[in-house]
Amino acid sequence: MKKYNFYLMLLFLSSLLSGCVETNILDKIGLTTIVGYDLGTEEKMEITAVIREVNPEFQSNVEIITTENDTSKGNRMKANRQLSKKITVGQMRVILFGEKLAKENLHYYIDLNLENANVSNGLYMAVVEDETAPLLNYEYKNIDDIGQHIFRLLEQNISQEYMISPTLHETAHDFYSIGRDIAMPIIKRNEEHIEMSGIALFKGGTMVSSLPVKDSFYVKLVRDSFNSGFFETNLKEEEMPPGLLKKPSSEIPIVFDAIRSKRELKLIDASTPEFDLNLKLKARVLEIYPDVNLGDPELVKKLEKTISKNLANEISRVIAHAQEVESDIFGFGEKYRSKVRNSELTKEKWHEMYKNMKVNVNIDFIILRNGVFE
Amino acid sequence: MKNSIRLSSKDMINAYLLFFVIHSAQVGVGIQGFQRIIYQDAKHDAWISVLVAGLATHIVAFCMIKTLEVYGSNDLYGIQQDIFGIWIGNFLNALYVVYCFIAFFSVLRNYIEVIQAWIFPNLGTWFLSATLLLIIIYAFTGGLRVVVGVSFFSVILALWIFPMLIFPMKFSSSEALFPILETNLSSIFKGAQSMTFTIIGFEILNVIYPFIKEKKKVKKYVHLGLLATTIIYLSVMMVSITYYSEGKLLKTIWATLTLFSFISFPFMERFEFVAVCFWMLIILPNLCLYLWAAYRGTIRLVKISGTKFVWIFSLLIFIGTLIVQTRTQINSINTHFGQIAFYIVFIYPIFLFMITMLKKKITSRKG
Repeated sequence: MKKYNFYLMLLFLSSLLSGCVETNILDKIGLTTIVGYDLGTEEKMEITAVIREVNPEFQSNVEIITTENDTSKGNRMKANRQLSKKITVGQMRVILFGEKLAKENLHYYIDLNLENANVSNGLYMAVVEDETAPLLNYEYKNIDDIGQHIFRLLEQNISQEYMISPTLHETAHDFYSIGRDIAMPIIKRNEEHIEMSGIALFKGGTMVSSLPVKDSFYVKLVRDSFNSGFFETNLKEEEMPPGLLKKPSSEIPIVFDAIRSKRELKLIDASTPEFDLNLKLKARVLEIYPDVNLGDPELVKKLEKTISKNLANEISRVIAHAQEVESDIFGFGEKYRSKVRNSELTKEKWHEMYKNMKVNVNIDFIILRNGVFE
Repeated sequence: MKNSIRLSSKDMINAYLLFFVIHSAQVGVGIQGFQRIIYQDAKHDAWISVLVAGLATHIVAFCMIKTLEVYGSNDLYGIQQDIFGIWIGNFLNALYVVYCFIAFFSVLRNYIEVIQAWIFPNLGTWFLSATLLLIIIYAFTGGLRVVVGVSFFSVILALWIFPMLIFPMKFSSSEALFPILETNLSSIFKGAQSMTFTIIGFEILNVIYPFIKEKKKVKKYVHLGLLATTIIYLSVMMVSITYYSEGKLLKTIWATLTLFSFISFPFMERFEFVAVCFWMLIILPNLCLYLWAAYRGTIRLVKISGTKFVWIFSLLIFIGTLIVQTRTQINSINTHFGQIAFYIVFIYPIFLFMITMLKKKITSRKG
């Protein structure tokens, strides 16, 4: 046993060495929660960072610093010169891009954040209408910590599936995928609030167009399967079957929730290419106006058909728009690559084919139930 | 036959422990980032390469066991001395010791690189390598039974990491795997060959064989251990292919660790930091076993005590880790080592097996 005592001692002593490594004490660091990138006026990039400083005695303090430099780390150094605490990025939750910057190219910025091991792959990315600096620098009446606020705003909308999920991982995945393009939410300042105003469509690393926020439901339907969500649409008069309404009306707004959808995508012709998109939706009717009698099974069938037709039209419209700007945010290209052998697909090649792609949208809509009162 | 090793049963280990030894010797630093290397060759059929490589380990292990069974209770060093004579045999033994040395070195240096890249960029290499070496020296001086114990606990304590693969699966799409077998066969085999660096370690069987109590059960546990490794590699590869897109996987250096970077719990923001630190437990048996194997070879060549040997060995490794500083150097060591290891671990045992069989035939005819 004596023989080992020496080693035991050494081992024990070396455990004390753990105190010698780099320390990050909460009181002495500034936690960056949001970083906003903009095109710089003089130098390459302008960065606005929302930094949360934790004070043990007082309330935490949120600092917003805007700097301009050629590199991101250069900006960090510049910001560091203005702060009493060391800046860290481990708690970064959201990365925002100014619209002008997004319209140039985000490739560099995606790689930048992937390279850094301190940056989590789960953070959200979004585009800001116009520029990020004014959005972050504005003093909102009811928002204490803008960093947390924007993060929560995105998080709750994404987890409830109102908005597409734009994590760093997914964004990078789509960027580096041959048959898929990036889509990100767009946010903007609306008086004293911050709101989501749309979806940005990208071609490669460049933002080429946007869709209104209402369309995020259709985009989500085509991209993935759905598990929750909530949706409102307007059925037009010409889509309505006769006899559905007691009183004729030009439009019926209708709201569903608890939507479950199953998406099935089939490549039926590789040369055009042509896809069959079969969507199976099950939902609960939450609100319908004016009164429609849902007790009659005949009428329910008719209503289901009408809704299916309406959804199919809307989805086709959204896909057509994305095709026009050559942005495959739905991942049709991935399907094509996985089905066609030795296609040797590249992103450019796919964008060429994507323009002429045909999609047949078939929707099978089932009304499960309405509320507890008919 | 001569030079066989006689041991008292108190120095021997049970056969079922071989499962842990083989498995823990295989899984080490390679698994942290093997995906992109295989993917470069085999594209989305990389998982087939993993299967092929797994199958190859079974075949090679079969040959190893057959060779060892001929000698009853002897290790590779004794067999080489017997077959090739003292001079050539000892030369080959020395080569094998060098191989163990380089394997040890490359595991250690790669792990240090991971720590420096992920968590402590400013921490000196010398510090990490000295602390790790101290633990290994401590384990080694305890003898084989301690080393095997380390293997056992390394497997048991790291079991919980495997189910963590479920989290990234939420973001995977099986489409990425299709069309199956689009890559041509030669690329798939090339990918399988690139697996060498990740999948080696089971050659420890050559050295540990005489220490197993129930020789008859060796086969079963060795193959089970290899199977477990193949299953783990296969699932990690499958999840990686479906989770990353083509371009992203090729650019991700430690794809397994990046897989974990998505996971966050309310009580733990960044899971992969824990995984990186915990990996020390996974590489520990790797290091201990290679060190032990090198020692077994050295005592056939020169008379040296274990303590003396381990200090000299560690000092050389320590100096080595200081010389190799950059990523490019480490990568080139990995590639070259992988190529050499392919011949030592996969080709040579089959060759040795054939010679042994030939020799057995000749001697039995004479007798």
